[in-house]
Amino acid sequence: MIEIIHRIIILWEKHLLTMRTIEHLEMFSIALTISVITGVSMGIIIYSHPKIASPVLNFLNILETIPDLALLVILLPLLRLGTGPTIAASVIYSLLPIARNTYAGLKAVDAQYVYVAEAIGLSPKDILFKVRIPLSLPLIAGGIRIALVFTMGVVTLGGLVAAGGLGTVLQNGIQLYEKDVIILAGLWTGILAVILDHGAGRIEKELYKRYGTWQPQR
Amino acid sequence: MAATALIINATWEHIVLVYTSLVVSILIALPLAFASLYSRRLALVVMNFANLVQAVPSFAVVAIVVPFLGIGFFPALIAIMLRALLPIIKNTYIGLTNIDPALLDYAHGIGLSEWQIHRFIRFPNAYPAMFAGIKFAAILTNSIAVLTAFIGSGGLGEIIFQGLIGYNTQKLLSGAIPAIILAVLIDFFFTILEKKITPEHLKND
Amino acid sequence: MPTKILFERIDSIELQGVSKKYGSRFAVESLDLTIEGGELLILIGPSGSGKTTTLRMINRMIEPDSGSILINGQNVMHLDPVRLRRNMGYVIQNIGLFPHMTIEENVGLVPKLEGWDQNRTTERVRYLLDFVSLPPDRFINRYPRQLSGGQQQRVGLARALAMDPPLLLMDEPFGALDPILRKQLQKEFLEIKKEIGRTIVFVTHDIEEAFRLGDRIAVMDNARLLQVGAPEDLIFEPVNELVADIVDTARKFKHMDTLNVKDLMTPLDTKYILEGDLDACHAVEVMKDRNTETCIVLDNGKLIGKLEMVNLLKCEEKNPLVRDIAKPMKVFALRDSVATALSEMKRSGEYMAMVMNGDTICGMLVSDEVLLKLI
Repeated sequence: MIEIIHRIIILWEKHLLTMRTIEHLEMFSIALTISVITGVSMGIIIYSHPKIASPVLNFLNILETIPDLALLVILLPLLRLGTGPTIAASVIYSLLPIARNTYAGLKAVDAQYVYVAEAIGLSPKDILFKVRIPLSLPLIAGGIRIALVFTMGVVTLGGLVAAGGLGTVLQNGIQLYEKDVIILAGLWTGILAVILDHGAGRIEKELYKRYGTWQPQR
Repeated sequence: MAATALIINATWEHIVLVYTSLVVSILIALPLAFASLYSRRLALVVMNFANLVQAVPSFAVVAIVVPFLGIGFFPALIAIMLRALLPIIKNTYIGLTNIDPALLDYAHGIGLSEWQIHRFIRFPNAYPAMFAGIKFAAILTNSIAVLTAFIGSGGLGEIIFQGLIGYNTQKLLSGAIPAIILAVLIDFFFTILEKKITPEHLKND
Repeated sequence: MPTKILFERIDSIELQGVSKKYGSRFAVESLDLTIEGGELLILIGPSGSGKTTTLRMINRMIEPDSGSILINGQNVMHLDPVRLRRNMGYVIQNIGLFPHMTIEENVGLVPKLEGWDQNRTTERVRYLLDFVSLPPDRFINRYPRQLSGGQQQRVGLARALAMDPPLLLMDEPFGALDPILRKQLQKEFLEIKKEIGRTIVFVTHDIEEAFRLGDRIAVMDNARLLQVGAPEDLIFEPVNELVADIVDTARKFKHMDTLNVKDLMTPLDTKYILEGDLDACHAVEVMKDRNTETCIVLDNGKLIGKLEMVNLLKCEEKNPLVRDIAKPMKVFALRDSVATALSEMKRSGEYMAMVMNGDTICGMLVSDEVLLKLI
């Protein structure tokens, strides 16, 4: 047992896993932050312009079907190797779930709350920010959680286009056929993703509980 | 431009890999989903595992197959299935269980056998959800099949990785673009199939 | 951003030839109605009669197709809707408290938007919760779903009063509550109404509620206003069968012919009795202490008449004896018919009469109370 832990520590240090994890999480956070900001704004925009909602969502839907590696690769001529295309690809993938859920959430807000808000004298802007968006938070959080999983996936692929992160360790492991490195880095990447997803799930559930309008879907 | 013959060959390899994985996944997933109806334990394990693995990056799944199965077509197939099985099982199970209990009562009441209930009630009811799962799995399969070229599955990903080594833009694009076209075609094809296959009363619009 | 106060108090709300059509159907058809400042006007009618549409046109939640609505002479269509709505309180049946806000945030929402600071808002919320009988310490930090229906309805009322508006619009506020709770809230609401003295427009389909709460009642049916008047107007002089039907005269009051004054009179409470040799200044003091506005003047057990606080205050300077300023009042015998008595009182504009058996005082007949006992 101790021997295994010892080997893990040696491997961990040899392959700079602490640094790689930090790189990984850094890319992940930047990508997700951009995705949340653009995705939520996009959701709000298509909510306030219902005519463009369907075309925009359809377009995002098509982007969603593109294989992640292929998307990453066609961005290379534009953005060069490294973190640029990785973050861009993550954002492109994450737009759909966040924008779609924001849009659906804003639309699904119970009409009686909007009616009352209007009747007690809230302006359209107040209604959006004080009523619609807060009441949509559980659904928006659900979208962000899906985006989080996508982003984790694309950021890991980033290793293949010299973006660093845990994908780099996996790539080296496979190329050098070092089984224990692959297992260690693969498991660690998986665990990290599951933990983050789980954390997001907890937040989502909390929001459902607090805002009490919908039940958690699972 | 990479030789057209090379691209066609790679595309063919890619399609074979995608559809083999998809068909095998469906053949395994459907019986598992049905079996889950009879065992709450199995259902619980399958659903939890499905939710867990969905969060794991594809690259990690693809990589972790290597130490156990080596490289090549077969390990790639397994890696793809690990990801593709779950949405199908999960969706089918949800479709099968998400059914009006009154309808089941009624079915028992008019004397349908267990098999007839599956055949005439549960299965048609589960169709849309199951199909959505398969569609999702097909797109996922197409996506991972590009990546598995990294562990020697061949196909369009192979051209991309060759392009990456020397940073050859033409090669990169001649691998990526057919993969994207295939993805759009799969989506298109499955959307049409979905419309045809969905029973009239379950259609939304 | 603070919005300007549009009206300190309501002098009148005039609806002039107001119509609203949905498709080819009138929701409200050429409605003329004047709501007086300080009164509680009930809009009643079956569902689809246009009562709610009428209410909603006052705060522009619905805009009329034609006609105009004037508050203190200002056409509401010329006012900014957000500003207009912040100048009136609004309470609806399903309450509509925001589930994501605490009670404090719900009640304090509009004050906050008006730029009040946290302390002032909190203070106001605490005052209002207390006002609607919810101990602030226990409720201020709760979420709506942690409250019972009745408690939520009280919070709804507190929210409507947040900006101390001179006008309250209430759309079946007690409609969703169970009958006992409804009665209790109506009772509390009457107390509150006395205290705040605002103009209130109140929609209901419950005639009993209308009689309990309303100063005047406007009866609507099929997009038209049929009649507007005090409760006894509707009961004794319905303009047509429809009104009679809605106030349910036929069923509820048909047995009135068989009732005697004796059956419905109120015993004379000593707090209403003043001796004739008291002077006006002292009478004012006594009535203040007893918390009454009206008294009966007796001289050695003999009825002289009645005395109202308003009249007393006018002649405080001369300070006459009360027996000299008491006004004569109607007297009925125990065996008189209630129906006759009430219509006689109504004709002479009296709400109160004495019941006597020969020279002995037996009790009082108070029109409001008679009505309440009948329904």
